[in-house]
Amino acid sequence: MSFTSVKNNPVEKRVLEALDKAHLVQPILNAMVSFIDPLSQLEDLKSKDKNLPFYGIPVALKDLVNMKDTITTGSSKILDNYVSPYDATIVRKLKEAGAIIIGKASCDTFGMGGTNKTAATGPVHNPYDLSRMSGGSSGGSAVLVASGVVPMAIGTDTGDSIRKPAAFCGIVGVKPTYGRISRYGIIPYASSLDHVGFFTSNVSDAAVSLEVLAGRDDLDMTSSFKPVEKYSSLLKGDLKGKRFGIITNVTNAIQNKNTTTQFNNLCEKLKAQGAIVSEITLNEDLMKAMLPTYYVIANAEATANHSNLDSLRFGVQLEGKDNEEVMIASRTAGFGPLLRKRFVIGSYALFTENQDLIFRKAQKVRRLIVEDVKKALSEVDCLIAPASGNGAPLIEDTQIDQLSSEYLVAENFMALGNFSGYPSMTLPFGFDGVLPLGVNLTCKPFEERLMLDLAKGIEDLTQLNDLICEVKP
Amino acid sequence: MNYETVIGIEIHCELKTKSKMFSGAPVSYGAQPNTCVNEIDLGHPGTLPSLNKEAVRKALQACMALNLKIDPLIRFDRKNYYYADLPKGFQITQQFHPIGSSGYIDIDTAEGPLRVRINRLHMEEDTAKQYHVEEESWIDFNRAGTPLVEIVSEADMRSASQAMAYVDKLRNILMYLDVTDGKMEEGSLRCDINISLRPEGTEAFGTKTEIKNINSISNIEKAVSSEIIRQKALLEAGKEVQQATRRYDDVAKDTVMMRLKEGSVDYKYFPEPNIPPIQLSQVWIDEIRNSLPELPEARALRYKTLGLNEYDIKQLVQNKALSDFFDALIPSIKNVKLAANWCCGDILSALSQKQLEEKNYQLKLSELREMINALHDQAISSKQAKDIFPHLLKGENYASIVDELKIVMVSEHSSLLKLVEETLDENPQSILDYHGGKDRALGFLVGQLMKKSKGQANPAISNQLLKTELDKRKP
Repeated sequence: MSFTSVKNNPVEKRVLEALDKAHLVQPILNAMVSFIDPLSQLEDLKSKDKNLPFYGIPVALKDLVNMKDTITTGSSKILDNYVSPYDATIVRKLKEAGAIIIGKASCDTFGMGGTNKTAATGPVHNPYDLSRMSGGSSGGSAVLVASGVVPMAIGTDTGDSIRKPAAFCGIVGVKPTYGRISRYGIIPYASSLDHVGFFTSNVSDAAVSLEVLAGRDDLDMTSSFKPVEKYSSLLKGDLKGKRFGIITNVTNAIQNKNTTTQFNNLCEKLKAQGAIVSEITLNEDLMKAMLPTYYVIANAEATANHSNLDSLRFGVQLEGKDNEEVMIASRTAGFGPLLRKRFVIGSYALFTENQDLIFRKAQKVRRLIVEDVKKALSEVDCLIAPASGNGAPLIEDTQIDQLSSEYLVAENFMALGNFSGYPSMTLPFGFDGVLPLGVNLTCKPFEERLMLDLAKGIEDLTQLNDLICEVKP
Repeated sequence: MNYETVIGIEIHCELKTKSKMFSGAPVSYGAQPNTCVNEIDLGHPGTLPSLNKEAVRKALQACMALNLKIDPLIRFDRKNYYYADLPKGFQITQQFHPIGSSGYIDIDTAEGPLRVRINRLHMEEDTAKQYHVEEESWIDFNRAGTPLVEIVSEADMRSASQAMAYVDKLRNILMYLDVTDGKMEEGSLRCDINISLRPEGTEAFGTKTEIKNINSISNIEKAVSSEIIRQKALLEAGKEVQQATRRYDDVAKDTVMMRLKEGSVDYKYFPEPNIPPIQLSQVWIDEIRNSLPELPEARALRYKTLGLNEYDIKQLVQNKALSDFFDALIPSIKNVKLAANWCCGDILSALSQKQLEEKNYQLKLSELREMINALHDQAISSKQAKDIFPHLLKGENYASIVDELKIVMVSEHSSLLKLVEETLDENPQSILDYHGGKDRALGFLVGQLMKKSKGQANPAISNQLLKTELDKRKP
């Protein structure tokens, strides 16, 4: 559902329709964690300029985004009762732009996962095939846009948590440059890898969204001072002379012939439009080292980031005879086994005697990977590859060989964009049966304008914009 | 066997900034508990730190005054541990790259001058404050996130008095910089003192203990002395000193065990990902260096050139508030030494330290200055000044006090001469006694003169005049 089609309805109707639909599909998709009464926001809207980019547009937030006086659980058990005492910077910006926030979308607990199966409220179903997963961690947000509940939803991306579910759900998912959108007020996973981004059903809406969300925020020291460009008005979709570099490590690892064929077709179409498409091979050893490197850095940061969840000041508190017992009891009950595993891995990597061998080594590997990507991007405008070898996996799928190149490289290469902080996005380029397939673009830092322009060019070729997969009870 | 004491000191000093180290919440000592906090100080999910520039400025000033080498690339790290007073579950500190390293200060000790080397100065945030009331513990988060610098000395001190002199000097320097209020009793300056003993002439360090919770400069000497005695007794009895954290008990006048150090905690330090390294500009650093306030040593030198004696200089310089009072007083004062006497004497006993620090008194400097100048000019006597001073303290003007108390300093030659002549005329016997060599006679005559003038005659001039007139009347 595009912004334009939403705007055909009067404001109140748009918002109420979105809420109605969200409630209606909830038993089927399980995409929402909590709903927000829009009345006070609609009241505030009355004094606002009708030409605001998000004027009266219903929007959903990933359940990691704090909004004052709303429940933000992080899709966890330990924050089941947490009411945010403050607004995230992007919530302020969305409200200022006229958006009406209707609720919080499900995600993997604290964004730690790629399936959305770890959400405290259970898995989120893919609207294209309910037995399939949404992908994660921003699965709820992706599904709400894909099923036409809202035209835009906020996500976060630490490894590929926006771009993967976008691919599985047939929509546009954007992770801009690190520092482009403020992280203030977003429950973190791993601070050096976390990015805030969003889902839309077409590239133009993505450009509008980025314009609203981007910009320096004094509350986030890692946010950039670089001026925000007029992404939406500069969008042309001209592919002539644009240089695409196919990541062969990814295309070679993909086993699904259907995906390969469609991707090759896309590349031919790009060439036909005057684009220069070449092949780029990144260091295969580094590509295979990416996932373990990611696990070390992300979990090390995560274990510290979530040390605030001691249940003394907020969160679900269990009893104990002293503070220490309260913390231990609450954390043991409040974190599932998967989270505890991640915290143990993270702590282990940080022990003084392990730091050189594990944590600092991972940082070194990260630097090498970034140098490799930087070098590759010095020759092209954009790196391109299918976002995944296949459509969304079955929710019950346990058959994944986590040591295969298909898994290590083809299913996890998008973390390149998190290691480097470079802008990266996914948009639909085809279908495998009923399941959407996504293509991923990665550009140089702060070249969002170019990235969106290239995406627009691709969208014009595929015509796969504004896909809605309606589900009915 | 003789033992040598080895002492190293870590000082945590709260910086006097308006807002906290990493949040915009106000820093305010003594405010209602949990009123100076925001979501960042409480470690709420999703919050991020933003560095307080003023805290960096103050840390830089401290580095400069302590002769530390400055690292212009500011970096922070996380120190991870769980504790109820640590909201985030980690403290943001500078483990790997302190802002200042390898400095020193020179101190005066009974054993002569000593240079104490300073290993490092780093910035960090304070924890919340816990209060244990019977079975319950209460936490005041106002202190959480207050900017701190930690200053770590080398183990260069060898006695309790050196330890005290070091902290005293350091505290004084920091107060001159106005980077802290330096109140040990309120915990804004806290020192952890590491003490160990080793047989004289040996190199290896003995097992150390750490003393915390010392609430005044004078207690440093007491605490360290008693700990030295305790450790020495243990060693002499052939026992071992246990590595432990102890605190000084002001009532028991001894150090008391707090906790044993059983293996060290692994704080799993790693670089803080939410604060990118910040390159300080040389221009800014130079600007701070060039506008550094006058430090105690410079002030002492300046007082020396004013002609003050060592005692007054020491009295003034060691009390910044008093010294500032003195500096405010001396412009257009005729006798600086006299002003110093008044400051170290009557002012110090009339005004509390708090009043001096907060400049919270009714006394007007201009009026005090006028009185001291009158005293210097011998327009009034010391006795009269003592009568005037209590009125000055109430904020009254010098002229009106003089008026009200009917203080007339009879120092004009003609009117004094008249009184002298009258006195001599009335006491012929005393004239004879004086010339007969009885010195008391002069004192008697001065007394009579004073009585006659109702205490208003200028004693010095009267004395002189009496002598002259007595000589004229030599039989």
